[in-house]
Amino acid sequence: MTMEQTGFFSEQDPLVNDQLPDGGLRIKIIGIGGAGTNAVDRIKLEDLEQVHLTVIDTDSQVLSSSPVEESFLLGRTVTRGKSAGGSADKGRQAAESDIEALREIVRGVDLVFLLSGLGGGTGSGAAPVLAELAASEGALVIAFTPLPFQREGTARCDRARKALEVLQKRCHAVIALPNDLIFRQVDESATLMEAFAMADKWIKLGVHSIWSMLFNTGLINVDFSTLQCALAEPGGRTLFGTGYGKGDDFLDQALQDLENCPLLQLPESGFVKDTDQLILNLTGGPDLTMGMVNKAMDALGSKFNCRNSMIMGASIDGSFYNQLRITIMGTIRHPSLTKGFAPVPAASIPPNQPLARPLKPAEAFPQAETEPLPASRTQEEFPFPSQEENRGLFEKTLRNLYEGMDLDIPTYLRRGLKISRG
Amino acid sequence: MSRSKIVGAIEIGTAKVVVLVAEMTDGRSMNIIGRGQSTNMGMKKGEITDLSAVSDCAHAAILAAERSAGSEIDHVYLSLSGGHLWGFRNSGATAITGSENVVTARDVQRAVENAKSKVLEPGEVYIHHIRNGFILDGKPVENPLSRQGSHLEVQYWHVIADEQKVKDHIMVINGFGLDVNDIVISSLASGSLLATEEEKRQGVLVVDIGKGGTDFVLYRGRRVVQTGVIPVGGDHVTNDLSLGLRVKSKFAEGLKVRSAMAMVEKEDRNKKVPLLGDLSIGDSFHSQLSINKITHARLEELFIILKNRLGSLLTRKNLPCGVILTGGVSKTPLISDLAEVTLDVPVALGESPEWVRHKELREPEYATVLGLLYNALHDQQEEDRGEGKREGRRWLRKMAGLFN
Repeated sequence: MTMEQTGFFSEQDPLVNDQLPDGGLRIKIIGIGGAGTNAVDRIKLEDLEQVHLTVIDTDSQVLSSSPVEESFLLGRTVTRGKSAGGSADKGRQAAESDIEALREIVRGVDLVFLLSGLGGGTGSGAAPVLAELAASEGALVIAFTPLPFQREGTARCDRARKALEVLQKRCHAVIALPNDLIFRQVDESATLMEAFAMADKWIKLGVHSIWSMLFNTGLINVDFSTLQCALAEPGGRTLFGTGYGKGDDFLDQALQDLENCPLLQLPESGFVKDTDQLILNLTGGPDLTMGMVNKAMDALGSKFNCRNSMIMGASIDGSFYNQLRITIMGTIRHPSLTKGFAPVPAASIPPNQPLARPLKPAEAFPQAETEPLPASRTQEEFPFPSQEENRGLFEKTLRNLYEGMDLDIPTYLRRGLKISRG
Repeated sequence: MSRSKIVGAIEIGTAKVVVLVAEMTDGRSMNIIGRGQSTNMGMKKGEITDLSAVSDCAHAAILAAERSAGSEIDHVYLSLSGGHLWGFRNSGATAITGSENVVTARDVQRAVENAKSKVLEPGEVYIHHIRNGFILDGKPVENPLSRQGSHLEVQYWHVIADEQKVKDHIMVINGFGLDVNDIVISSLASGSLLATEEEKRQGVLVVDIGKGGTDFVLYRGRRVVQTGVIPVGGDHVTNDLSLGLRVKSKFAEGLKVRSAMAMVEKEDRNKKVPLLGDLSIGDSFHSQLSINKITHARLEELFIILKNRLGSLLTRKNLPCGVILTGGVSKTPLISDLAEVTLDVPVALGESPEWVRHKELREPEYATVLGLLYNALHDQQEEDRGEGKREGRRWLRKMAGLFN
């Protein structure tokens, strides 16, 4: 309520220019809508160099409780400081009414992280507008968008789905974080605070890993231009995942953790396999060796079955002794059209080896290079988990997971076979 | 003086509870004297979802079996299945310390204890320890006792189950006032019945595809090399059909039994089959092609998972006798062709041995219970010969302690 928008930009603009010498990267993390604002609030607690935070919402209450300095009340003329009330149209109108002010916010920024929970009014309506603006101002736009729980109702999910589709066309990368997937990791007894901290943790991890890729000294450097090239054309579907390992066998642990990353499990087709572009980044301590980097890259390259190019980065963080974080970002642009289910090579598990316990994904991954791309998997974007209705008889029983697929879901559905009825 | 024992073999399956009662005379011969079964309403995917429903069904089946046998069961052999079962191979080794490097019984025992020493996670129990043979100085030997060597290794295949689920099964039987003498996992029961000694020596895989899940056991060199459960079975085919054709699952079940085939054929394209098939008015027709496509996809995937699980154990070279299919789903037409194409080994449908004369009992659904009886008979013979207790026995005593 105390927001003084008039003096706001004249103050902020010089600041940006002062702090960043020529050639320095200008990065902004913009939270838009309630969920986005909360996420940025949390990120503020982490010190990231050379990063500016901005929160934007239509609700003045949310903004006044945010500790972030740069905040902007959207659509005063449309909502009068009250929220968009779950109407995406209102959210969009609010953004359009303040389009010049928004343009100022993203002007001259190289990289915009757009954090916005989809499904509500402001996030779903205004985020696409801002994304388009930022892109037209020449920024690379990476959006992190938490998606609502299915339980929140179809209206909300539909709104989120539509907004996500629009965002995907306008941003260079959209990392969708379906709440249903994320909260699967949280056990029942977790408090609400803990649960939501979990969702924000993923955003934070994402932002942080991209940031550390750009700023930490690299064994193999990935700089901003590389990232820009890799994500050059908007419109792809983005996958994002991260794994963390610690201790003696941190490399194996990190790979395993990555495999278990909920964001990389597509409920319909299992672990993501076909990618076009892949950016891999390893953040390790000073004890990270080239051999390990090579080993990790080999393992990941074959695992993700990358078609075009793979960009590798490895950076060193002084505090990461005996630890490793693997982050992958990739785009999926041309879903494979081959049909059929490629059988896995016979010898994927050597005899005389203890087998994996049932229902856990087997440790052996199909060796992708030896065969045509596994099929069926029309790579969908992270779909709104809606399998419960596809389990029929097995509703309410435990999921029957095998290599990331739920075996209780009909095979023909997972393979995408066309079945004519009647 | 002949001693006879009334033995009951009980399989609590997802489709039905099957009980066979047999009279064993002198531990040498066996007569099947009673049979009882009831449709099981309380299980999904091989695991109990409704304990009281399962109890009722099991008790009804036991009662019917006792009635038809005209006598009461005094020994119960129970089969066990379900996705909670898993196994691993563990070997134990020891250095031979005795004079002149002769293997003594103590050395053997040390190696064996070593192999069994792996501590399970809480809530898990060992069901079987299956010995896979000894290796003395790198050479496989049948019986290492009194042989010379410096390093003895023994290999075991261990089968582990979820303790609570085993307790639930035992509780169902206890609820009828019966104790469980032994538990045998379903795959071992049907495997021991259907595979001949010669097949077991050369290498054979017995796959029992039931309603709730698929059990398999792989034999080589007359030993059980590996066992396993894949939680996909006939119910999955039914469910796929029900969702794919948008029909109720009870109709889908009938449609599956009457019309589903494991392979898609050319003439399916224009063929329509009735949903109910009872000439009733308003019966709907469904494309044979769609039915077969759905069935084929599901079963093919099942065989692919099986292939993945067994890896190089499942090749023509390592498995000359190929695969024996059994269980209710093995009655699906063309399933052996599908298995042969997918697994690339010879496939045959399971045939009960000659001594099973009753025509109905030769149906694949009875392979597990018959196998249980077969095992019970062998057990008895071993006991009579004084060959000591089998490992399972010791375990069961441990479990029994939990209930008393």
